[in-house]
Amino acid sequence: MIHATRELAVVAAVAALLASGEAVAQQIRAKAEVTCRPAPDVLEYDCTVTLTNARTRAPLPGVELTIGADMPSMPGAHSVAPVKTAPGAAPGTYQGRLALEMHGDWALSLNLAGPLRDRVVKVLRFEPDSVGEPAARTAPGRRPRH
Amino acid sequence: MDDYLVGVLSNIGVVSFVALSAYLLLLTGAISFGQQAFFAIGAYAAGVATALWGWPLAAALALGAAVSAAAAAAVGLPTLRLHGLYFAVATLAFAEMVRLLFELARYQVEIDGELVGPNGADGFRGIRYIFEHDLGPLQFLALIYGLLAAVLIGFMLMERSRLGVALRMVGEDEVLASLNGIAVARLKILAAGLAGALAGLGGGLYAHLTTYVEPRMFDVMLGVHSLAYGLIGGLGTAFGPLVGVLIDIGLLESIRPLAGYRMIVFGGLVALLLIARPRGLLDEAAVHWLQRAWRPRRRP
Amino acid sequence: MLELRRLTKYFGGVRAVDGVDLTVAEGEILGLIGPNGSGKSTIINLICGLFPLTDGEVVFRGTDISTLPPHERVALGIARTFQNIRLFGQLTVWQNLWVAQKARGQGRGFLRGWLGGSRHDRVAIDKTLDFFDLGHKRDELAGNLAFGEQRRLEFARAFAAKPSLLLLDEPAAGMNAEEIDQLDARIRQLRREGVTIVLIEHHVELVMSVTDRIAVLNFGQKIAEGTPAEIQTNPLVREAYLGTQTAA
Repeated sequence: MIHATRELAVVAAVAALLASGEAVAQQIRAKAEVTCRPAPDVLEYDCTVTLTNARTRAPLPGVELTIGADMPSMPGAHSVAPVKTAPGAAPGTYQGRLALEMHGDWALSLNLAGPLRDRVVKVLRFEPDSVGEPAARTAPGRRPRH
Repeated sequence: MDDYLVGVLSNIGVVSFVALSAYLLLLTGAISFGQQAFFAIGAYAAGVATALWGWPLAAALALGAAVSAAAAAAVGLPTLRLHGLYFAVATLAFAEMVRLLFELARYQVEIDGELVGPNGADGFRGIRYIFEHDLGPLQFLALIYGLLAAVLIGFMLMERSRLGVALRMVGEDEVLASLNGIAVARLKILAAGLAGALAGLGGGLYAHLTTYVEPRMFDVMLGVHSLAYGLIGGLGTAFGPLVGVLIDIGLLESIRPLAGYRMIVFGGLVALLLIARPRGLLDEAAVHWLQRAWRPRRRP
Repeated sequence: MLELRRLTKYFGGVRAVDGVDLTVAEGEILGLIGPNGSGKSTIINLICGLFPLTDGEVVFRGTDISTLPPHERVALGIARTFQNIRLFGQLTVWQNLWVAQKARGQGRGFLRGWLGGSRHDRVAIDKTLDFFDLGHKRDELAGNLAFGEQRRLEFARAFAAKPSLLLLDEPAAGMNAEEIDQLDARIRQLRREGVTIVLIEHHVELVMSVTDRIAVLNFGQKIAEGTPAEIQTNPLVREAYLGTQTAA
C-alpha cells in the first residue's frame, strides 16, 4: 500500500508538470542558415549562423545563441558542450567556434534563448579541410527534396 | 544548473528507458538487438502527434508507448521460438527494417512556411512542443526523471511480485518455468510488449528533448549500448542498467580526454565485465547479498 | 486416475516409446523400471506435455489431455521432478516454490494473483520447506545449496504445486543410505495425504519397499506389470536387466 501511494504521488507530480507546460503558444519561429569552415586547430571550426523570422524573413538580432553538437549515430552520447556565440557584423548573424571530438556528421543544435526561445537543428559533415552536406543526404538514389 | 549538465542528465534519463527496456527482455533470457526500433517508433509517433496533430504532450507520449508496445508484441509473436543468437539476429533485422522504413517515410505538413514532419533520411525537425508551451530544460528534466521514477517503482513492485519471479524463471529455464504453471509464451509476449512501451516512452521523450530525430539515430549502435547497460550494470535489479548508463554517459562523457576513445573504452569495459561478472556488477548474488545486509534475517 | 493408451513417441527413427498402455489408480504408488534408454523418462515427459505425442492418448481423470501445454497440465495437478536436478539457481529457495505454489487451478486466469507481494504465501511455503527440512535455507540462493539440499528442493518445488499426481524421475540418484531412508518416509507421507505417485528409480530396495505396483519397460515397450513380488520373480524382467544370449 505504501508503494502504491508513492507511485500515485509521482504520477500526480508528473501530471501537474504537464499541465503547467500548457502555456500560451509562442508565435515566432526561427529559421537558421549555418556556414562553417575549419579553424587553424584540428577539429575546430568557425561557424556563422544567420537567424531570421521564419514567416517574415526579417533578421533576428539580440538573441542569446549557443551551438551544441551531437553525433546522430549515437543519440545521447558524444555530445559537445554548447558554445556561446557573439553577434556578427550584420544584424541577425552570430559567430562561434566549435571544438568537435571527431570528424564526420554532426547535428548542430542552435539554441535560442533570451527574448526568443527556440531550437533549430542543422546536420553538417565536418571534414578535416571542409564542411559540407552530410553523407546521408548525398547518397545515391536519394529522392529530391520538396 | 549549467545547461550542458542539464543536457547530459536529460540524455542519461532518456537512454535509461531503452536500457530498462532491454533489461526487461534480458530478464526473460531474450537478448534483443532491436530495442532501438521501438525507441524510434515512439519518437516518431509522439513527435507527429504534437508537431503535426497538436496533441498535448502526455497524450503524445502515451501514443508513442502504445504504438511501440503493439509493434513489440507483434514482433514477439513470430520470434517466440527463437533463442540466443537467432533471436538477436531476428530483432536486429527488424530494427534495421524499421530504420530503413523511416528513411523512406515522408509525412509533412506546412506550418509557418516551413515543412514539418518526418522527411526520410533528412529526419524529422521542428518538434517544437517545449518551445511552443514554454517548457524549460529543467522542467523537462523533471518530467523525464518523474516518469523514470514511476517506471522504477513499477519495476521494484514487479520484481517483488510473483510476476517478477516468473519472468526470471522463464529467463533461466523455460521448460522448468512451464512446469511451474507459467504460460511461458504469454509471459514472453507480455514482457516484449512492456519492453516496447518503455522504449517507446523513452523515444517520445527524446524526440521532444532534442526537437529533432533522424533515422540514423536509431541504428544498431543504440541497441548494442542499451543491451550492454544491463550487462555491465547487472541483471539482479532494475538499478543495474541505470548504473550501466551512468558509467557510459555519465562517467565516460565527463572525462573529456577520453571522449574520442569512448567507444573503445566502453567496448573494453563490456568485454572485461562479461569475463569477470557475466551477469553484471549488480548480479543476482550481489543483490541477494545486499538485501541480506540491509535487513536482518527474520528467522534465526 | 491416469491412463496411457497406446502411448507412442518416435524421435526420428528411434522408437523411444512404442504403444505403451498403462493405468495408474488413484492413491497408488506405481514404480516404473527398466534399463537405461527403455523409455521411462520419455513417458514422464509425455505425461507432462514436454513433447507432442507421435500416437496414442494421455487421459487424466477421464479427460484427454494429450494436446494441453505443460502449464495447463500443472494446473490440473500433475507435477514432476527431474532426474538431473533442475532448479532456478539465481532465485532463493522460497522463490523457487512461490510460483509453483499457486500453479494449481491457474490455467486460464493469466495475471490473476501474479501481482502483489508474498506475505500470504509465506506460511504455506514455510510449511512445505519445513517438511523437506529446508526451512533454515529459505533465503539462500538455490544455486548455493549442497547436492542433497538441491534434491530435496526439487522435490519440494514439485510438491508445492499441490499435485494430485506426482512424477518422480530417479529421486534417489546420488543419495546416501540415510537420505534414501528419508526419501522413503516422505514418499509414504505423501501417499497418506492422497497424492498418487509414479516413481522411476534404479534403486531396487526403494522401489520394492515403497511401490504398490511396478511396470517394467524395455526398448520402449511394457514387458511386465505386477506387484513388487511378482516382478522380482518374472523371467522376462531378469532377461531385460541381465541380458541373455538371445537378447544380445
